[in-house]
Amino acid sequence: MMLFLARRTATLGVSVLLASFLVFLIPYVTPGDPARKIIRSRVSGEVVDEATVQALTLQLGIGDPLWTQYLRWLGRFGSGDMGLSYTSRTPVVEQVLPALWITLSMVVATLGAAALVSVLLGTAAALQEGRLADKAITTVTQAFIAIPEYWLAPVLVLIFALKLSVLPSAGWAGPASAVLPVTVLALRPISHFTSAVREGVLDALSAEHVVAARSRGLGRRKTVLKHVLPNGLLPLTTLAAVWFAGLLGGSVIVEVIFAIPGMGRLLYDAVLNSDIPLAQGGVVVVVGLAVVLTTAADLVHRLLNPRMRAHHA
Amino acid sequence: MRNLPAHVLVAASILALIVLAVALSPWITPHSPAAQDLGARLSPPGGDHWLGTDHLGRDTLSRLLEGGRFSLTIAALATVLTGVIGTAVGVASARRRGWLDEFLTRTNDVFLALPEMVLALFLVALLGSGYPSLLLALTVAGWTPFARLARALAYDVSARGFIEAARVLGCTPRFIVMRHILPHLAAPLLGQATLRFGQLLISVGALSYLGLGVQPPQSDWGSMLAAAQPFALRSPLAILAPGLAIFVVALCVTLIGQHLVRRSTTPLAPTSPALEVRNA
Repeated sequence: MMLFLARRTATLGVSVLLASFLVFLIPYVTPGDPARKIIRSRVSGEVVDEATVQALTLQLGIGDPLWTQYLRWLGRFGSGDMGLSYTSRTPVVEQVLPALWITLSMVVATLGAAALVSVLLGTAAALQEGRLADKAITTVTQAFIAIPEYWLAPVLVLIFALKLSVLPSAGWAGPASAVLPVTVLALRPISHFTSAVREGVLDALSAEHVVAARSRGLGRRKTVLKHVLPNGLLPLTTLAAVWFAGLLGGSVIVEVIFAIPGMGRLLYDAVLNSDIPLAQGGVVVVVGLAVVLTTAADLVHRLLNPRMRAHHA
Repeated sequence: MRNLPAHVLVAASILALIVLAVALSPWITPHSPAAQDLGARLSPPGGDHWLGTDHLGRDTLSRLLEGGRFSLTIAALATVLTGVIGTAVGVASARRRGWLDEFLTRTNDVFLALPEMVLALFLVALLGSGYPSLLLALTVAGWTPFARLARALAYDVSARGFIEAARVLGCTPRFIVMRHILPHLAAPLLGQATLRFGQLLISVGALSYLGLGVQPPQSDWGSMLAAAQPFALRSPLAILAPGLAIFVVALCVTLIGQHLVRRSTTPLAPTSPALEVRNA
């Protein structure tokens, strides 16, 4: 376990460093003069004067070896100085933090909703195993993974915002505006969570302590609530952590469609506008968070499944 | 074909029909997909245009058939590329063991943790949008599940008696891999590839929808959807049709893939929960 922990932590560090190095390279490998692009991210306003460019190149150390520049960039980055956005001329940090907050709240709402729906559906399916209700729930939730978000979202907007006018079609202000994006984003997690809960509950139902509880005369409802669900829901914890990471990156399309000013939207705009500093900041923050969450999920998964350790070191 | 569950048979038939129609599209489209009829913009289905027309008066059915060629081809190419690369990496990892295995497995962990869409956005930012960078982005982001599966399977197969026997008989490592290991991986990897094809189809559509994939005048299902969205109220079918096409193909492929996976082997203990998510 200690070896696993050490390996995982090392991988985590390498992933983040690798991602940050690739991101650092963007101004050097995209077309155009890297010095001008870097200067533009450090100094407000575009510098056109050749003498100023030369002076700033020297002052910012752009001629230095790449490694020195990378370490200096990483140091600044770590201390929260991510440069200035090309488009808004404001510090990148000031744009990334509010966007991150919005995306995080959307992801948390999505996971919460998905977990709630899946626990109900998955438990119902497991208790009705093999019967019509089980088959219906399993089939419908499995079909959810084949639904493209960029199709469901416009269709829901058409119905609920344009035809019925009951929900806002875009923006992020208050619970009403969260309903449609969260619904769209939750379908895929629901599909996975439901089958995980169903499996977990089925496993727990046949466990010895559950059979014992039933034979002691404990009622069906009480057995399920006290003995089956706590064990049956275990797989959900790891799954939720992984999906947290997945949704951070996967929210791009939903945020673009619903005009939600979150991280996905920020990255998308940064790429479209070739706003290098904004893209750098956004990618490093999202990847860093995703890597930490994935590692955490792996660790929890190990702790909960001792059998796995033997199978693959 | 024996013992095929009814729903798999239905899915396979629908898929075959769609693929056939899309493949034959140059000969069977009722109109030219690019022909504009500005007098008949956003017309409802019926008569000359079975599925109506879009905002430029182009026939939706014809565009659907033509656009399917790009969507399906890119998804298929990406599946094959990721499958071949992933299998090669996984088998090399399992056969060589030692530091190479360690290195490849850790690399895999790194890629698995990077969000697919962010990676694709990043690569498109570097390389510019279009067909080749779309394919590259999907490949870079998508080889990991195959490598994981191929490595685990090759590990298990390598431990079996007939591999030892082959080595004792003097077979070269290359021969052993080609003749004894790969055939054992074929069935589960095919199931995996089928499932991945469905996901890649959705991803291709997503990137095209965002304007980062197929560029005009070419179009695929994702970009058709994006183009039709401003006119959704007047002509809902224009957004329903391409999305439905992606959904139906992805669903059929998923049903077939799940059947193949269930049939091929006993499921392996997954090594990472992140993989289960990407596999799904």
